[in-house]
Amino acid sequence: MIVCGALVVRPDSTIYTPQELAGKRVALDYGNGTAYAGLLMLEGAMPREAVLTCAATADPVERFAALMHGDFEATVLQEPYITVAVKAGCRLVSTTFFHGTWVADPSVGSEAYAAFVRALTRAVRRINADKRRYVSYFIRDFPGVPEIEALGPDDFDLSRIQLKEPGPIPEHEARWAWEWMAGWGLMDGAFDVPTQINRKVEREAHELAGRLNVEAR
Amino acid sequence: MMTLTIERVRAFNGLDVLVARDEGLFAAEGLDLRIANPVPGDIRSSADGTLAEPVTNQGRLQDRGQAAMFQG
Repeated sequence: MIVCGALVVRPDSTIYTPQELAGKRVALDYGNGTAYAGLLMLEGAMPREAVLTCAATADPVERFAALMHGDFEATVLQEPYITVAVKAGCRLVSTTFFHGTWVADPSVGSEAYAAFVRALTRAVRRINADKRRYVSYFIRDFPGVPEIEALGPDDFDLSRIQLKEPGPIPEHEARWAWEWMAGWGLMDGAFDVPTQINRKVEREAHELAGRLNVEAR
Repeated sequence: MMTLTIERVRAFNGLDVLVARDEGLFAAEGLDLRIANPVPGDIRSSADGTLAEPVTNQGRLQDRGQAAMFQG
């Protein structure tokens, strides 16, 4: 799954570009991928010392409410709250996409992971064939939340819903992510492939899933 | 039937998982996929963390042996 994160400001904000967020408080749900996507968007627009962030809840209902209340200048939202924010007149000053990465413990074997990958591959193909049919999943995640229940399938910008068939993580991407996080003081030590990625299980699983996929066609 | 337990996903990061579950795609592969939910009251707020020392719920159930995978 590819996750979309958007840097969002209120409708009445004077901010129109990410550069204008230099020295302004941006609320991030530290520890979650969305927060690091936010850091990346900010870092690409200003010197690192100009990035000013504060801790925020990972609950997008509360984070969006705090944004609208004026508790901070901007935050990073995912779907369906990007759609909610746009509908409320908020501006997206930057948007990015990032991979969700599965973290498995040693008990996960190649056969089970291959079955998991193959099922996800089929799901990705179904969703990509008719994304509008599946946007209701974003709504059902927030039962009883009025701003979400007010959304209809046509409110969603399907370009923000991106799915890619699962595959092995490229070493250069894993290394870059590690070193980028280390650069922010979030990781210690050097990146070491064998301790982070079980290439044997990964390779066997994807080979098995790939073979099964070919057989299924 | 193989069994695999993962931590909870939402549509924004796991639409493929939810669709595969609801449309029987895991079962068709011989996989009993289970989704573990955190215990109410056990959720910690990321608002209590810092950039250098974040508070996150990702991986907590895996740490306890209640899930084998989570999406980071």
